[in-house]
Amino acid sequence: MKKRLFSVVYMFLITLFFTSMVSAVKLLSEERIQVNEKVKLQRIVLNVLGILGEEAPSDAEVLGIFDQRVKTISAQERTVYVGYAEGGRTVLGYAFPVGGPGFWGPISGMVGVDSGATRILGIAFYRHSETPGLGARISEPWFTKQFEGVKLFPIEEDRKIFYLKPEGTGRAPNELDGVTGATGTSRAVEAFLNRELDRFLADFRTSLEKG
Amino acid sequence: MPKPIGNAQIIVNGLWNDNPVLRQVLGICSTLAVTNLLVNTLVMNAGLIFTLSMSCLTVSLLRRYTPMRIRMMAQTLIIASYVIVVDITIRAFLPDISEALGAYVGLIITNCIVMGRCEAFARNNPPWPSFLDGLAVGFGYALVLLTIAMVREPLGFGTLLGYRIMPEGFTPWTIMIMAPGAFFTLGVFAWFIKAYFPKTGEEKKEG
Repeated sequence: MKKRLFSVVYMFLITLFFTSMVSAVKLLSEERIQVNEKVKLQRIVLNVLGILGEEAPSDAEVLGIFDQRVKTISAQERTVYVGYAEGGRTVLGYAFPVGGPGFWGPISGMVGVDSGATRILGIAFYRHSETPGLGARISEPWFTKQFEGVKLFPIEEDRKIFYLKPEGTGRAPNELDGVTGATGTSRAVEAFLNRELDRFLADFRTSLEKG
Repeated sequence: MPKPIGNAQIIVNGLWNDNPVLRQVLGICSTLAVTNLLVNTLVMNAGLIFTLSMSCLTVSLLRRYTPMRIRMMAQTLIIASYVIVVDITIRAFLPDISEALGAYVGLIITNCIVMGRCEAFARNNPPWPSFLDGLAVGFGYALVLLTIAMVREPLGFGTLLGYRIMPEGFTPWTIMIMAPGAFFTLGVFAWFIKAYFPKTGEEKKEG
C-alpha cells in the first residue's frame, strides 16, 4: 500500500516539475512565436498587394510598413486587408485569404486584387502539404507570378477566371502553366481558387451596393 | 546488472558498433522524413541529440527513486518535456525550419532510439555515462542522417545547403525528394556498411 502511494506521489511530483519547466519555456518564447507568425502573415499580405516589390525587408521593417499602409477590416464574415498607396488615402487593393482542398491536404493562400477588383495583383500559397518538388512548387515564384494581371469576372458556365494548362500550351492570357507531374494539385488549385475568387467578387459587389 | 563499460567504449558503441539506424534499425521514420534537405536534417539532429542526452541524464538521475512499475510513464513524461522545449525553441527562433519539419519534431517523443536508450542504458547506469551514451547514440543517428541528406539533396534539388552544386542542365531526381528515395539510399548505405564493415565479432560474409 505504501509503495503504491509512493508511486502516485512520485508521479505527481515529477509531472508538476516537468510541466512547470515546459510552461516556463513556453511563456518565455510565446511573444517571439506570435511576432514570427504575425510578421509572416504581414509579409505575405504586403507581397500579394505588390507593396514590397522585389525587396525583402527585415521583420521590423515589415511590421512598420504594414502598420502604415494596410488596414485590416472584416466584411461579409471574412478578413480583408486594405492596402493604401504610399502616404496617401488612395486604396491600392485588397488582400484576402483563400483556401481549399489540395491533392494531399488543405491549401491556404492569400490573393491580392486591385481597388476595383478587376484584376489580380499577386498571389501566394503559404500552407499546404503537397509533394515536395512536385505539387509543392505552387508556392514558387514562377507559378505565382503568372497570376499577376489576370482579369477577374464573375464565373459563368464554362468560363472560369483562369485555367491551368500543361506547361507551355496556354494560349489565352488566362491560360496559365500548371505544374508538370502534379496534375492533381493543379486541378485542385484551379477548382478552389476559381471558386474562392468568384465568391469574393460576389461579396465585393454586395458591399459596394451597400456602400 | 550488466558489467560497467568504459567511456571510450560507450562512444564507439553509440557511433558505430551499435549505431541506432544502421545496426539496430531504429528511428527510421524520421530518417526517411527529414533527410531531403541538409539544413532540416541539421536542425532535426540537434533536436534529437539534445532530447536524447538530456532524457538519458534525467532518467539516470532519477533511477534510484523511480518505482519500477511506473518507470515507462516517468520516462515518457521526461522525454515529452524535452521534446516540447525543443519544439518551442525551434518555432521561436527558426520559424521556417519549424514549418518544414512539421510534425517530426513532436514525433521525437515516440522515436524508438530515445526510449530504447533510456530503458536499455540510462536506467541502470550512473548519470555521466548515461549522458555520454545519449550523446554518442545521438551523434550516431546524426551521422547516418547527414550522409543520406548529402545524397538526397544534391540529387533531388541539385543543391547542398541551398547552394547549387549540380551543373545547370541537371534534371533533379524527384524520387530523391520523396520517402522512397530515402528508402533506397538508406538501404544501400546499410548494406554497404554491413558488407564491408561488419560488427566486431561478426564474420565478414562473402558474396
